[in-house]
Amino acid sequence: MAFEIPKTTYNGKIKEIKLGKGDKAVTIGGESSYPFYLFESEMPHLPRIAMDVYDCPPVEWAEAALEPFAGVTDDPVAWAQKCLKDYGAEMICLQLLSTDPNGLDRGADEAAEVVKKVAEAIDTPLIVWGTANHDKDTEVLRRVAEVCQDKNLILGPVEEGDHKKIGAAAIGYHHTVIASTPIDINLAKQLNILLGNLGVPDELLVMDPTVSGIGYGIEYAYSVMERMRMAALTQQDEKLQFPIICNIAKETWKTKETKISESENPKMGDAKKRGILLEAMSAMTMLLAGGDVLIMRHPEAIKLVREMIAELTKA
Amino acid sequence: MTETTLKKKVKVHFNPDNVDIAVASGENLLQAAIAAGARIYASCGGSGTCGTCKVLIEKGEVETTRTEKLSEEEYQQGIRQACQSHILTDLTVYVPVESRLEKAVLSQEQKRVSEVLATGWRFRPPLNKFFLELPPPTLEDNTSDLSRLLRGLRQRYNLSNLSVDFTAVKKLAEVLRDGKWKATVTTLVTAVKPRAGDQRQPKVINIEPGDTREKHYSLAFDIGTTTVCGQLLELNRGKVLAESIAYNGQISYGEDVITRINHCQKPGGLKKLQQAVVTTINGIIEELLARGQVSHEHVGHLMVAGNTTMTQILLGLDPKYLRLTPYTPVANFFPPVEATSLGIKVGDQAYLFIFPAVASYVGGDIVSGIIGSGVHQRKTLTFFIDIGTNGEIVIGNSDWMATASCSAGPAFEGGGIKHGIVATEGAIEEFDIDQSNLEPKVITIGGTKPKGICGSGLINIIAGLLEAGVISQNGKFNRDLPTKRIRQGRDGYEYVLSRASETQTGRDIVITEVDIDNLMRAKAAIYAGCQTLSKSVGIGCYDFEQVIIAGAFGSNINIEKSITIGLLPDLPMGRFIFIGNGSLLGARLTSFSTDLLDDARRVAQMMTNFELSENVDFMNNYMAALFLPHTETSAFPTVSKRLARLTKNNPKQRITI
Repeated sequence: MAFEIPKTTYNGKIKEIKLGKGDKAVTIGGESSYPFYLFESEMPHLPRIAMDVYDCPPVEWAEAALEPFAGVTDDPVAWAQKCLKDYGAEMICLQLLSTDPNGLDRGADEAAEVVKKVAEAIDTPLIVWGTANHDKDTEVLRRVAEVCQDKNLILGPVEEGDHKKIGAAAIGYHHTVIASTPIDINLAKQLNILLGNLGVPDELLVMDPTVSGIGYGIEYAYSVMERMRMAALTQQDEKLQFPIICNIAKETWKTKETKISESENPKMGDAKKRGILLEAMSAMTMLLAGGDVLIMRHPEAIKLVREMIAELTKA
Repeated sequence: MTETTLKKKVKVHFNPDNVDIAVASGENLLQAAIAAGARIYASCGGSGTCGTCKVLIEKGEVETTRTEKLSEEEYQQGIRQACQSHILTDLTVYVPVESRLEKAVLSQEQKRVSEVLATGWRFRPPLNKFFLELPPPTLEDNTSDLSRLLRGLRQRYNLSNLSVDFTAVKKLAEVLRDGKWKATVTTLVTAVKPRAGDQRQPKVINIEPGDTREKHYSLAFDIGTTTVCGQLLELNRGKVLAESIAYNGQISYGEDVITRINHCQKPGGLKKLQQAVVTTINGIIEELLARGQVSHEHVGHLMVAGNTTMTQILLGLDPKYLRLTPYTPVANFFPPVEATSLGIKVGDQAYLFIFPAVASYVGGDIVSGIIGSGVHQRKTLTFFIDIGTNGEIVIGNSDWMATASCSAGPAFEGGGIKHGIVATEGAIEEFDIDQSNLEPKVITIGGTKPKGICGSGLINIIAGLLEAGVISQNGKFNRDLPTKRIRQGRDGYEYVLSRASETQTGRDIVITEVDIDNLMRAKAAIYAGCQTLSKSVGIGCYDFEQVIIAGAFGSNINIEKSITIGLLPDLPMGRFIFIGNGSLLGARLTSFSTDLLDDARRVAQMMTNFELSENVDFMNNYMAALFLPHTETSAFPTVSKRLARLTKNNPKQRITI
C-alpha cells in the first residue's frame, strides 16, 4: 500500500469579511485550512497588505523607511496616493499618531477631517489606527466614524476598555472594528463575545492579537495566533473564526536593530537591507501563523512578502 | 525600681461586650482585645491590610499608624485600626457592629440538613463499654486485678488480645473494690486497620465502678479555618444530642491558612494558635455538654476532621513545611492522641482521633467529606467539591479517586470583598433585581437589616446583575444604564445594594467592580481546578453523574446561580446535591461505625493528589474561566441560551450612540 500523508480534519472555517467598498473592496478570510496548507483544504482569499501612512510627519522613523516616501510624509493624502500609485498598495492604514495625548494631542475634529480627506482621495479600503489610549481613541474614533459614515472604514484598536463606545459608533455608521487584545487567546475570544453582545455583526469584525517583531517576542504572537487558528478550524470555536490583522511594520521598525546605522555598528551590516529583511521576515512569520492582513511599510519588504505568497500558493 | 513603674499598667474597657483587661501601656490594642475576649474580626491577622478591625476610641489615647484603610472622616471620628494601635492610657473602646464576630448568629447554620449519603455501614462504634461482674479474689484465686479483669472480658464478651492503658491500670484496684467487683470497661478500637487475618486489638482506656453503660458519649468535630463545628453523640443509640458552631479563635491571627502558618513562625506563635483553637473547642464542648446534660468524664472519644494545617496546629506540629515547596505534611496518618494532653477538657481516658490527610492542601476534612457522602461506596462517577478558602475537589468513585486543591481565596467567606462578611446574621444572602427600574431586593440571614454580603449572597448578586445586564460578561458595569444605583465610588464603579438608612452599619452597602473581579478569580480557580483535574484523569466535566457540594459559606447554595456565574459545570440540576458541612458529617458517621473508620484510611490512601500549581493547563483554564460564565460559552449551553434571550428582551442593555 502506498504511503498516505496524514491530513488534518477541519470542521471550521474563517468568516469572509469584506473590507471597503466599490471596485477596490477586498474580501479577506474564508480559509478552511491552516495557513498555506493548500494540500489539505482551501484559502480562497490571499492575505492582503495595507501600507502605513501617518497623519503627521514621522520623526522617529529609520532613514531607510522614510526614503521611499520622501516629499510626501507631511501630507497624508499625497502619501496615501503615492502608496497606491507607485507601490500598488491594496489598502492603506492611516495611523493617527498626532492624536496621542502624550504627543501632539491633536483634537478629534481635526483628526477626523484628515481621515475624511484621505478616505475621499483613495478608493481602496482604509484602516484607521488610533493610539490605544482609551479615552482619546473613544473620542477620536467615534468622531471619525461619524464624519466618514459612508466609507466602510476599518477602525482600531478596539480594546476591552473602550469597546462599548467605539463598537456602538461602528455599528451605527457601519464600519468594521478591529478587536484588539494583548497576546491572549482567551481575552481575544472574550472581547469578540462582548462585541457580539453589544450588537457588532460578525461581518464587521476582525481581530488584532497584538504582534511583535523578530527578536521582540514574535514567538508569543505566533503561538497565540496558531492556537486561535487551531480553535477556529479544528475545534469549531465560532468566536475565533475571524480574520486576523497584524500591525507589524510599526513593531519592527521601532526596534534598535532597524535604526542603528552601519557606521555606528559595522558588524550589523547595511542598515537598509537589515530593516527591510527584518520587516519582511516578521511579516512572513505572521502570515505563517495565520495573518490575513499585514500592515507594512517598506515597498521592498512588501515585494518580498508578495513573492512569498505567490510562491506558496503556486498551483 | 520595679518593672511596673517602667511599664505603666492601664485598663481597657471594651463595649458592647462590657469586658475589661489590664495591660502594660504600649500593648497592641488588637492583642488586648483578644486577651480580654472582646470579639474582633481581623481577617489579615493584624498586619493592617484588611481594615476589618476598626474600633472607636471613646475615651483615652492610643498611638496609631495610619493606613489607607482608614479614611480621613473615620480618623476624625476617632476610629482606629485596633491592630495598628498601641495603648497609651486607660481606654474605653467601642467595637462597631461590622468589626464584631458574632457567635449566636452562626447557630442559624445548624438548621441546615446534612444529608447522609453513605450507606450500608454497620452501627459499630469504635468506642465501646462492657459491664462486668467479677468474682472477688480469694486465697485460692488471688490472680492480679488486671488478669481478673481481662479474664472476665474474655469469658463474658469473648474479648482477647486487648492492650491496656496505664491510666486505667492506675485506678484499677480502687475502682474494682469501690464498685464491689462490678465495673464498666471502656475499650477503643485504635484506628489502625488490621492486615487481613490479623485480629483487631482494642485498647482498654477506662474502667468505672458499677454499670455506666448508659453514659456512653463521644464528640465529632470539624475544625475549619474559619469555623469550628462540633456534635455531641450518644453511642448506644447513635444519636446526635447537640450541635454547636463557633468561629475558630485563630481568626484573630489571620483569615487564611498561609497567614496562620506564617504566624506560627513567630516566637510562641504556634502555641498561641494551638491554644486559640483548643479554647474554641473547649467552648463548644462546654456548650454541648450543658445542652446534652452530660459530664466531661463520660466523653470517651473525639473524632476530628480538619484541613492539614488545622490538623497540625491542633496537634502542636509546626506547619511550616506545608507552605514550602515541595509541600510536605508531618504525617498522613496520625496516631490517636490523649485529648487532655492537648488541653481539651474531656475525660482523662479520652482519645482524639484525627482523620488522615492526603497532602499539604488536601486534608482530613476532605477524606471525612468523602466518607460522609459515601463517594467511596458507589460506582457513580462523582465530582465532590468543598468550597471554602481552599476549594478542594475530588473526582472518582469506589475504584479510584483523584484530588486537587485550588486556592480560591477567601471571597466565598466574604474576604477581599469590600462589604463581605462571613455567613452571619445580617449578611445579604438572597438577591433579586427589578428588571424595569434596576432596583434591588435583598434578603439577609436572620431577616435583619443588612450588615454585609456573605459568599452565597455574592454568587446570587453577581448572577442577578449579569442576568439583568447590569454587568457584562467581563464583570464590568454597564455605566450608561438609567439608574442611580450604579455610581463611581472610591474603588471604581459600584452598585448600591442597600442605602445607608437601611443598613446596620449606617453606611451604604455596595458591590464594586473589584469585588466582582475577586469573586470571578475565586470561581475561576475552582472551575479551572475541576477542568484540569478531570482532564488529567481523562474525562470531561459532562461525564459527572453526580456533583456533591460541601461547604459552610452560607446556609445554602443556589445551584442555578452558581452555574450562571460559571462556578459549577452546566449539568442538569438533578445531578447536584448540597450536603452542608461534609467534614462534620464524616466525623459523626465514623464515630458510629468502625467500618467507616477503616474506609477513611483506605480513602486517604487511594486518593491521588494532583498539584495544580505545577500544571501548565491549569493557568490556561484559569484565564479562560475569568469570564461570566466562561470564555468557552459552548461549555455553558443553558446559561448562554438564557443570557442571549435576556439580552434580546432587555433593550436597556443596548448602547445608544
